[in-house]
Amino acid sequence: MTALLEVRDLRVRYPLRGGFVDVVHGVSLDVRRGETVAIVGESGSGKTTLAMALCGLAPVSAGEVRFDGETLAQDRSRQLMPDRKRLALMFQDASGSLSPRMPVRRLLAEPYRIHRVATVDAEHEALRLLSIVGLGEDFADRYPHQLSGGQARRVSLARALALGPDLLIADEPTAGLDVSIQGEVLNLLARVQQETGLGVLIITHNLNIVRHFADDMAIMYLGRFVEQGDSRQIFSDPRHPYTAALLSANPSFDPEAKRGRIELLGEVPSLLHRPRGCEFHTRCPQAREPCTKTFPELTRDAAARVFNCHFPMG
Amino acid sequence: MSSPVLEIRDLTVSYQTEQGRLPALRDISLVVPEGEIVGIVGESGCGKSTLISAVIRLLSPNARIDGGSIRFKGDDLLGLAPERMRSLRGDEISTVFQDPMTSLSPVLTIGRQMADVQHRNDISRSARNARSQRMLERVGIPDTDAQLGRYPHQLSGGMLQRVAIAMALMAEPSLLIADEPTTALDATLEVQIIRLLQALQRDVGCSILFVSHHLGVIAELCDAVVVMYAGEVVESGATHDVLRHPRHPYTRRLLECDPARIAERTRVLPVIAGSLPDLGSLPGGCIFRERCLQRFARCAAQRPSLSGGSHRVACHLPEAVA
Repeated sequence: MTALLEVRDLRVRYPLRGGFVDVVHGVSLDVRRGETVAIVGESGSGKTTLAMALCGLAPVSAGEVRFDGETLAQDRSRQLMPDRKRLALMFQDASGSLSPRMPVRRLLAEPYRIHRVATVDAEHEALRLLSIVGLGEDFADRYPHQLSGGQARRVSLARALALGPDLLIADEPTAGLDVSIQGEVLNLLARVQQETGLGVLIITHNLNIVRHFADDMAIMYLGRFVEQGDSRQIFSDPRHPYTAALLSANPSFDPEAKRGRIELLGEVPSLLHRPRGCEFHTRCPQAREPCTKTFPELTRDAAARVFNCHFPMG
Repeated sequence: MSSPVLEIRDLTVSYQTEQGRLPALRDISLVVPEGEIVGIVGESGCGKSTLISAVIRLLSPNARIDGGSIRFKGDDLLGLAPERMRSLRGDEISTVFQDPMTSLSPVLTIGRQMADVQHRNDISRSARNARSQRMLERVGIPDTDAQLGRYPHQLSGGMLQRVAIAMALMAEPSLLIADEPTTALDATLEVQIIRLLQALQRDVGCSILFVSHHLGVIAELCDAVVVMYAGEVVESGATHDVLRHPRHPYTRRLLECDPARIAERTRVLPVIAGSLPDLGSLPGGCIFRERCLQRFARCAAQRPSLSGGSHRVACHLPEAVA
């Protein structure tokens, strides 16, 4: 069965004075129905730009995006409209993505109006969506400023689910939420996924939620994936030193975790001055001479894990 | 035990709003001993930000202090003249906020902003710049000479937060208040900032009041922790006591809900059922009662007071106070 979303060698390039910058530098991934794929990486690694490019909100300069077997038109907007019904995006800033001048009722009815879905009673649907995300009918008349952070997230999730999409791209769906509300939003997402077979692409730097919810994961550094594969395998046995450092850096209660921590030195290099050779060598605790000279080819191990490293761990 | 730098007793603060008077903080007591790092943990709406604003006396105009005291090195902060308070802020008490991008001016260079915070030091501009550079070195920023000429947008988030910390420590304060300083950062940078705060605290010798909702960060950094819920302190004590042997049902639930502490992979995370009580019509008795799985008759009848020796808890359960 072909994957719901197939991304092949996708690049996002922005022009700059006297040159250009590749924010997303050739990434490939698949999301199948009912599956959750997580993309993790530090700020500025290109995660959000990748999400935007998949939805046609950032310019794709090379590569291909296929959605349910069809190649998505690269020059966006109008041609993409039919796909937007089936491909929903949950923005990172939930409160900011809700118009402050509309009550929740209208915010939830908007997708039907924009896509001219006249067959449903949008008003009735809005209330149904609210109940799916666990908010009472009294929320229908509230404005975004009357919602807490967690409630705004739930409204934006309800809106993303309005047209019954096949794929949801969720950019930091729980950033800034308290642990118990974070659990509510994620449990809700898992339930919807189970009921409808929704494919989910989560972009996050919260490794704990990836460990619990993701089937596959990809680790992004300077716009490239340095490692990707089954998330359980990656958590138990990372092959790329950056993955190992990222996983070990999770602040925790466990004194053992502190002892095993790999501390990265220095700053993330600028995209304008990508390091020669392996792009991680400037911060890599294991870097040796070849790492400073040649870019490591993609390695695929027996379990279909892929990574780019001259001297993989494990 | 060393003498406290900050001592808050029974602090009660309310806001006047269209819905009436909302009691945002009720009988808050906490102590920050000299040279220690004390964490405040609690979810959104627990009153963490109101508490910080009360300490630096920058509460919004519709807030009123209804009772209690805040003592800084023995002085009653609530009774200080505004001019004296102004000189304490920035000189003896410094603050680092969550988002360095919004606490730094986007239109001034780092060097200009670092020189500006030294307005009380009667020294030449070059001496100020030299001090700024030494401070930037101390927080681990390379190439300090060039950084002074840069604008905030030219630095990464981790670098900016270090600049903000360097600025806060410039006056060698006795108390550093850090309000969620690592929330906007990624895990690897979060760890770097924790290490940095620990090292600086040792060098400068300041006390730190560290506010966070990230339990792992509190566990790694703080000597003591204060757990707040809906405007009250429900538990406080040494960090390892509170986090290893939590006594209040809220603290226990909070720890159980942290996905970092759930070793087995699960697709259904635990949550704390219910929601925060409405400050406009607070229930009588225990503040956590409506969401507590172990409530009994006494919880509705009587509000538990924070009691105990070094590990204090506000709960009627016999095993909590034992």
